[in-house]
Amino acid sequence: MNFVKLLPLAAFTLVAGAAFAQSDSANDGDDKKGFLTGSFETNTIYYVADDAVPNYNVPNDRFGSNNYLKVDYVREKFTAGVQLESYLPVLYGYPTDFSGTKLTNIYASWVDESFSVTAGSFYDQFGSGLLFRTWEDRALGLNNALMGARFTYNFKNYLAVKAIWGTPRLGMEYDTGVQYRGLDLSLNISEMYGAKNSTLLLEGSVLNHYEKLSQALMGEDMSPNATGYSGRINYEVGGFMAKFEYVDNGINYYSNTDPNIEGAFVGRHGNAQLVELGYSNNGLGIFLSGRRLEWMYSWGTRNSTSTTNVFNYIPAMTLQYTYLLTNLHPYTPMGGDNGLGVPGELGGQADIYYNVKRGTWLGGRRGLKLHANFSTYYGLQGNGSVFKTRHMLFRDFSADIEKQWTRDFKMNLLYSMQERNTTYGTSDKTELAHIIVGDFLYKFTPSFSLRLELQYLTSKEGEKDWMAGLLEASFAPKWSIFVSDMYNNGSTKLHYYSAGVSYAHSRTRLQLSYGRNREGYVCSGGVCRIQPAYTGANFAMTISF
Amino acid sequence: MMKKLLLTLVAIAGFATLASAQTKLPNVKIENGKGELIQTASLIDGKTPMIISFWSTTCKPCIRELNAVNDQLIDWLDQADFRVIAVSIDDSRSASKAKAMASGYGWSDFTVLYDKNQDFKRALNVNLVPQVFVVDATGSIVYSHTGYNPGGEAELFQQILKLQK
Repeated sequence: MNFVKLLPLAAFTLVAGAAFAQSDSANDGDDKKGFLTGSFETNTIYYVADDAVPNYNVPNDRFGSNNYLKVDYVREKFTAGVQLESYLPVLYGYPTDFSGTKLTNIYASWVDESFSVTAGSFYDQFGSGLLFRTWEDRALGLNNALMGARFTYNFKNYLAVKAIWGTPRLGMEYDTGVQYRGLDLSLNISEMYGAKNSTLLLEGSVLNHYEKLSQALMGEDMSPNATGYSGRINYEVGGFMAKFEYVDNGINYYSNTDPNIEGAFVGRHGNAQLVELGYSNNGLGIFLSGRRLEWMYSWGTRNSTSTTNVFNYIPAMTLQYTYLLTNLHPYTPMGGDNGLGVPGELGGQADIYYNVKRGTWLGGRRGLKLHANFSTYYGLQGNGSVFKTRHMLFRDFSADIEKQWTRDFKMNLLYSMQERNTTYGTSDKTELAHIIVGDFLYKFTPSFSLRLELQYLTSKEGEKDWMAGLLEASFAPKWSIFVSDMYNNGSTKLHYYSAGVSYAHSRTRLQLSYGRNREGYVCSGGVCRIQPAYTGANFAMTISF
Repeated sequence: MMKKLLLTLVAIAGFATLASAQTKLPNVKIENGKGELIQTASLIDGKTPMIISFWSTTCKPCIRELNAVNDQLIDWLDQADFRVIAVSIDDSRSASKAKAMASGYGWSDFTVLYDKNQDFKRALNVNLVPQVFVVDATGSIVYSHTGYNPGGEAELFQQILKLQK
């Protein structure tokens, strides 16, 4: 184990050493010295007691603060960097395995024409990430970087190879006793045969996950190794695109909830299929995707239920909204749930974008942008069900238009119909809601503008009707202030108000806001975390330098 | 607790002032519209400056900004020769959607790149989108801004005009 721990350090030294040995080749003075670059981000909340909000008890020290400092040194092809994270303490509702202050990430890399080497902590993914992905998402409270080494090599444009090895980060540590080893290959067939008008890529990956069995688990029928594969075809010609991916996720262990089966864990063989078709040309964009998941959760460590303990990417493939009421109940994908007895999901979505040109009958003087989306997902009936499904999990249809009426006035209108299963696929009980949004922007002067959002949600079920409004005044390019309120007039009669101001100058942005926040899912990139309700003042700042 | 935080902030502010601002465009690998990996250094052509804008399909202000640039691009290009690089930071799930969106918004004059693994974003220390950079013909970063307020795009063009002289 000690040897394993030392490997990243050894690799780091090698890359750094090689970099300095190469430094003679520098020509430009600025390049020769190299330079520092970095960023700092804080998200700090002061919590306030609020008896009106159900299920909310103000945290003991009333204070939460997530802070990130990242500094990189760049010298030609060589880069090295660190990230310092400080949770003082971690914000309410974030994974609690983030705590204290620590230098969490450190890396060195060398990027050359035909190869690259990275040692230390790094992020990477194979294909769409269904088999393997490590990434950082601060809004979500997710950082599952690997500590180890990555090597990439490309032979002309024909072949790209990537090899990774590392131990995963969980919370603030990398000492999970887990190792990932992977290989990814991409062949550009069109380049090999000199095809100019189309691109055909054949890709494949293999990933091995090793976790030592504890003494207690020795007797169980478990393997410390799980090996998964992925095969992919990407094809592009003209404005047409097609992608296919098949993933065999190997055997992952889920907590056993069945008293009739012995053992703490039960092994499930995972697999997934993904199809994407797209066409884009001349103001028209069409995108279709279909996906089937069966037992696709890949946890790094068997015993942790933390949201940061995930090592593949199975996002909700639905439309990601940005308006308040359209995001009350976002879809969270079903990657297989032992307790609920739902092995996975099958579904898809369709998007169409169209830009009606200016000067046409419909486009008018300034054009018109149209977009529609439909998505639907069903729970799989049983293990190995290919197309057999049981209950609908989620369905959404939406359409929106964007119209610039005059030079100063722009309007967006959106309609969405969302139906979701309230029992996570164990019954056919659903709730249906219709939402309309109007978003109006008026520019009074080249730098002063007002934006107004008006929203209404109507539903016969659950919390019934909601309404929401937002008014934002912007003084370009630096200042903006907003007030908003979201009100449930259907049942709880609660206001979720918020107000704030933001200031941006060059690469610095500050935002101060105060408000009451509803309990719900916070989603970023289609991955969600449950955020408990709270009321408080929020200070957010980012600086990059 | 407040003390600790203040101390951290002061330390960082001090560090930020000491450290020189990033001057050069970093070199990392990124996907082009065909799904091929290119090096970001290849964007530097020695002749024309560029506006590099980081955006994503779920970032409304980003899209507003790029649409505003797109609406005025014809007039701007009459006065200066430059390129607009729209870098989608959407992950693999939304990258194909980003492509459909870029076409549906009529961004045919932009070079759209797909930073699926967010290497370019990290290398440029972009925390929040939208963030834009104005980069001169030799690859030096001359201006950057985080966030977008309607009308803010005028500053970008001013920076490009400055580089023409």
